[in-house]
Amino acid sequence: MTLRVGPRPLPLSPNIHAHKKIMHLTHLSLTNFRNYARLDLDFSNSITLLQGDNAQGKTNLLEAVYYLATANSPRAHTHRELINWLANEDQMPFARLEAKVEGTDALREVNIVLLKTADRLQKEIKINGVKRRVRDLIGQLKAVLFMPEDIDLIAGSPEARRRYLDTAICQIDRRYYQSLQEYSRVLTQRNSLLRRLREHPADPHQLDFWDQRLVEEGSRLIAGRLETVMELDRLLQDIHPRLTGGEERLRLLYRSRLPLEGKDRPEVYNQLPLDVSSPAGAMIGTDALSSLDVKAIFQQQLKVRQKEEIERGMTLMGPHRDDLRFLVGGVDMCTYGSRGQQRTIAISLKLAEMELIRSQTGEEPILLLDDVMSELDEERRQCLMDAINKEQQVIITATRLDCFAPSFLDQATVWAIRGGRIENLSP
Amino acid sequence: MPGIGPKTASRLTFYLLRSSREQVQALADAIGQLHNKVVTCSMCFNIAETSPCAICGDAQRDGSLICVVEEPLDVLAIERTRAYDGLYHVLHGAISPLEGVGPEDLKIAELMQRLRRHPAEEVILATNPNLEGESTAMYVSQQLAPLGVRVTRLAHGLPMGADLEYADEVTLTRALEGRREM
Repeated sequence: MTLRVGPRPLPLSPNIHAHKKIMHLTHLSLTNFRNYARLDLDFSNSITLLQGDNAQGKTNLLEAVYYLATANSPRAHTHRELINWLANEDQMPFARLEAKVEGTDALREVNIVLLKTADRLQKEIKINGVKRRVRDLIGQLKAVLFMPEDIDLIAGSPEARRRYLDTAICQIDRRYYQSLQEYSRVLTQRNSLLRRLREHPADPHQLDFWDQRLVEEGSRLIAGRLETVMELDRLLQDIHPRLTGGEERLRLLYRSRLPLEGKDRPEVYNQLPLDVSSPAGAMIGTDALSSLDVKAIFQQQLKVRQKEEIERGMTLMGPHRDDLRFLVGGVDMCTYGSRGQQRTIAISLKLAEMELIRSQTGEEPILLLDDVMSELDEERRQCLMDAINKEQQVIITATRLDCFAPSFLDQATVWAIRGGRIENLSP
Repeated sequence: MPGIGPKTASRLTFYLLRSSREQVQALADAIGQLHNKVVTCSMCFNIAETSPCAICGDAQRDGSLICVVEEPLDVLAIERTRAYDGLYHVLHGAISPLEGVGPEDLKIAELMQRLRRHPAEEVILATNPNLEGESTAMYVSQQLAPLGVRVTRLAHGLPMGADLEYADEVTLTRALEGRREM
């Protein structure tokens, strides 16, 4: 089942923040994180440029900032590997990340300790010295990360796209993170129960409670994703043509296992013209489904497919099975896009995400650019630079400095990274 | 033993070494009698010295009220309040498919039997307010529906003496949903 998403005539929610809040990362301190045994670094309020050869720790530094913002790494398969492998020989291997963040309101100190014990990895989070939970951490520091691997978002598995979308929404909606956690707990329990019912047939009414919880949290997640995908899609109508010289129109498609078209508006989504210039009136019906609409559909589908789910011993529908697709001229770019197209889409998407954080939270996210400049042609590089707000904090890594304009280098603080050590190159 | 590590264990040993012979013998006897003396109450499945237990056998208590809890320790907690004078029913666990605990592993069938023999007016579901406890409460209430007995659930809300601003969103939402007329 697919659901095509169109632009909406009005912004998602009125911007309640009268003026933008400025947020700067002023200091980063790392202990045993990846290849950094010990690092202390002050950041400038505008552009910081980190120069170094490959495998010196440039990406690790951006990863650390991103991890402090989201408690999630875009590339670590297990959080264990974030701890310096030399530290693994210690009795209690640990990694420590600390950021000082200066906002308009106050100075915040965010601190994460990863501690490896015999059987598990402990994650301890402190904000201003007080122990907090992950959900309190997310949003303290907002960041958007660009890296060469972003192309996997388009070309890779649906799982990677779901994870990207979830992390992005978590940064603007704390409630979403809670639903995500709860959903995964309910899903594990429900899957165990389905397997149990397959092996020892028993009263299927035992499923009722888990169904109810699954639908409750699941429909909140889907509604949140639909809303965000629509908003991203709207922002992309402006961003993507600029990156492609006006040649390409990119549309986002949230593909759900649930028949979200609903029975009362059967063809609206499928016949939606891809042409963005259609009058707003034609877009009625593309309004985000409320979580109540999703709930009704979800509930009904679970009933209809209960027998099948018990036979397969797993939950066959819900946000954990959905996907996000990218269409150019009606062609699915995940499958048919060229590498170049996919790379540009990834950049457009990240720029849209940055705009989304700005409009939804009123805060300027910190921009983390990992070695992306070298991959872009002059025109796209310029587009990216134009999208950066003058007041925004940017951290860029590069192997060489000659792909930057001298005027750009003048504004930047330049650091050199060699084997996990850092030195100042700015005059 | 849960809660006792090697250090506590050696401290306890030396404490017992310093204690008098009689005291140690009394403790040893008490432990020796544990399995002989302690039984499960045939009515409420609480752990007791007699069956039916002191609570079930107390004629002063309100037999039309049954409070369903997960563990024997929960009975002690509710008894400490002195605000409840009905009877109990201990399920010995909560439904958790992940740990392989299904309704048939709990004393749910026994509760149904008990209610058929001695109909009650109200059953209070006092399982824990977490996923497993909630799922158990919902399952039990479904099972009880045909009996026509009044089924209630413990209220969810703010702990006494707490500060509103420190309450987490879920608890606060529940507290708002369960607000009462004053």
